[in-house]
Amino acid sequence: MSLLPDWFRPVAEFMIREGLPVTLKLAAISVIASTVVGLLLGTVITARFPLLRSLIRLYVEVWRGLPILVTVLFIYWLPDFAVGPVHVQLSAFASAAVALSLWGSAQVAEATRGAVQSIPKEQHEAAAALGFGWIGRHAYVIGPQALRRLLPPMVGLLVNIIQNTTIAYVIGINEFLQAGTRQFENLTSGLTGQQAPTYAPFVIFGFVLAVFFLICFPLTRLAAYLEKRLV
Amino acid sequence: MFDRPVHFLASFEWSVIWDYRADLWHGFTHTIKAGVVGIVLAYVVGLVLGAVRAYRIPILNQLALTYVELIRNTPILVQIFFIYYGLPVLGFHLEPFTVAWLSITIWGGAFMTENFRAGYEAVPARLREAGYALGFTPFKSFLNVTLPIGGRIALPSTINSAISVLKNTSLLLIIGYPELTYVANNIQSNTFRVFEMFTALAVAYLVIVWSLSALIRFLERHLALPEAF
Amino acid sequence: MKRLLVLTIVVGLVAAAVAATFGSAAPTRGATHAALPPKPKLPPLPAAVKARGKWQIGVKCDTPPFGWQDTSGKNRGYDVEVARQFAKWAFGSASKVDFTCVTTASRIGTLTSGRVDIIISTLTWTADREKVIDYSVPYYNAAGRLLVPNNVTVGKLASWMPNKKLVSTSGSIYDRWIKNCFKQTSFQVVSSPAAGVLAVKNGQADAMMYDDAFLVGVAANDSSLKLASNVFLKVPWGVGIRKNEPDMKRWVDAAVRGMRNRDMFWSILKRTIPRRFWKQFKVNAPSPKHKLQYPRASPPENNCPS
Repeated sequence: MSLLPDWFRPVAEFMIREGLPVTLKLAAISVIASTVVGLLLGTVITARFPLLRSLIRLYVEVWRGLPILVTVLFIYWLPDFAVGPVHVQLSAFASAAVALSLWGSAQVAEATRGAVQSIPKEQHEAAAALGFGWIGRHAYVIGPQALRRLLPPMVGLLVNIIQNTTIAYVIGINEFLQAGTRQFENLTSGLTGQQAPTYAPFVIFGFVLAVFFLICFPLTRLAAYLEKRLV
Repeated sequence: MFDRPVHFLASFEWSVIWDYRADLWHGFTHTIKAGVVGIVLAYVVGLVLGAVRAYRIPILNQLALTYVELIRNTPILVQIFFIYYGLPVLGFHLEPFTVAWLSITIWGGAFMTENFRAGYEAVPARLREAGYALGFTPFKSFLNVTLPIGGRIALPSTINSAISVLKNTSLLLIIGYPELTYVANNIQSNTFRVFEMFTALAVAYLVIVWSLSALIRFLERHLALPEAF
Repeated sequence: MKRLLVLTIVVGLVAAAVAATFGSAAPTRGATHAALPPKPKLPPLPAAVKARGKWQIGVKCDTPPFGWQDTSGKNRGYDVEVARQFAKWAFGSASKVDFTCVTTASRIGTLTSGRVDIIISTLTWTADREKVIDYSVPYYNAAGRLLVPNNVTVGKLASWMPNKKLVSTSGSIYDRWIKNCFKQTSFQVVSSPAAGVLAVKNGQADAMMYDDAFLVGVAANDSSLKLASNVFLKVPWGVGIRKNEPDMKRWVDAAVRGMRNRDMFWSILKRTIPRRFWKQFKVNAPSPKHKLQYPRASPPENNCPS
């Protein structure tokens, strides 16, 4: 911490203290929701119900086709609505979490479908011969094998979602990038008593890049390692 | 909203989309302009650096690896900010279009590099050896054997990267590049028709991305390698 | 004895003279101060706000000295102080308010979508906006200025503007005015006022058009930039209130009037703007003698200079 220039120390502290926890919380919630929904959809799509398959296909194509920024803006600005007696209005954080989860679940659904469909037919037949129904087959035989193949892309998804939380900046969530940008704006406008040298952008945004790199790089390495070991 | 959907949708002023169609069209053309430039340049970067990585050319390989890992492990939005606010400090005064295609090229190039590297490395060794047997130098072997075949192996993944580059042009609104999202946001802030504009925006992107995907899938069928490989 | 008497009378006369001179020269606002109770009589608080126990107010977080965040994350600025005063008068404590950061582009949508109760966010009055939201009585008077590099001379706006590149924030009155009146000027929106400043500094734009208080501070701090002498769009700001909420409007209007009559806006200005700008901006704050009014007769964004 003694390496930090004087003007930057309070800026960095603000960013880490206020922004980083929001980023991590948003990423965690989105990853969990994406995984749960995506696994479900990806498995169900392999069943032989054309209507269900088409609906899930549509879901996947829509949320993967839209840029995440556009999804975030669309969800955030949805008018408030009532589900029965409950009045729902998504906060900025909730909108970002929903948008990221829609995208993430579409990604997971695609990956799951690929993983499930890559399990050889023989496994299905053997399980059926043992008396498993569709659900039992998928829960006890196909599922575990597919999950192993899914682990590397899931770690990859975590990395992507952590990075994509920065998109929430646009709707004003005080995540890590926003915290840095806010401080940068203060320094530029010159009215807040804070002063900084002209190369401030490199320091501030370089700091954001560095922190994200430190978080994501090990995870990417982990995904590569898992790819080699599990698949 | 859910109980009377038609009534709900009719309560908005969708005419704003028609009124501002000229601005929206300009936004669309800007998206395409930056997107096409970014995709083409990213392909070039990927083609070249993918070879550097696959052939492990000393020093350049390490540099390329650093570049790829740096870009893939950091968010593109931060990269855009870094370039937009950082370059003027170094004395480069660029207009938004330049920063726009530059930042998405840098981002896309990293992913294309990995795509092409995997493609090149997937070319069976026997084909390269056949090239040498025919008297090709390593460079000629690359041009005539590895590149055409490896490039086609890499086609699906590079197409995905290209579509991602196009989708990421939406983030360029931040730097004032007047692409589609910028225009929609600007119209909304002056007409106060928020839901209408962002719904139209979502529909527009779906049309663009789906059309592009369909077109590319069609082309891919003609360009892809036969099953024999 | 006699000398003591004479001395007492002389001192008494001098004291009376002094009291008379200074007493009557004291600004009438001082007399009004003393006469008014610290808190005005306010109509009942709107039910939703009362039930929640605190305000939800949209403020700027990127526009010093009106709305910004310091390194401890605290909201500060003129608008923020007004919001805190509302909290104090509604609930007894300045902390009974949750701030939502809004930008020029998002503030109206944030208000109309119900995410906040009111917005106090450098919201200039325009006739177009009044079709969509309600305005309280004015609480600050701003003017538009141009931020340019030091070596640029502007002269008359109408002759200088064509073929120049200008920046401002999306949805601002400047956005409308330039699109209405200066069709030959190329206009680009930036995501925050600071981004606009940088655009001018880095030569990406010829000038930035924005509110005087913000630009004055920027120019004072940066020796390579200055303000052109042109002053335009002198229009007051109001608190943004959703339409069809008469109880909210009544409360906010009463609060603003109460603050004005107690000269609280001047105190807030002194707290939020550096001392060297006080004289320049004193006239922008409403006071007991100086009420602000919206130019309803001639909407400003349609007034194009010749």
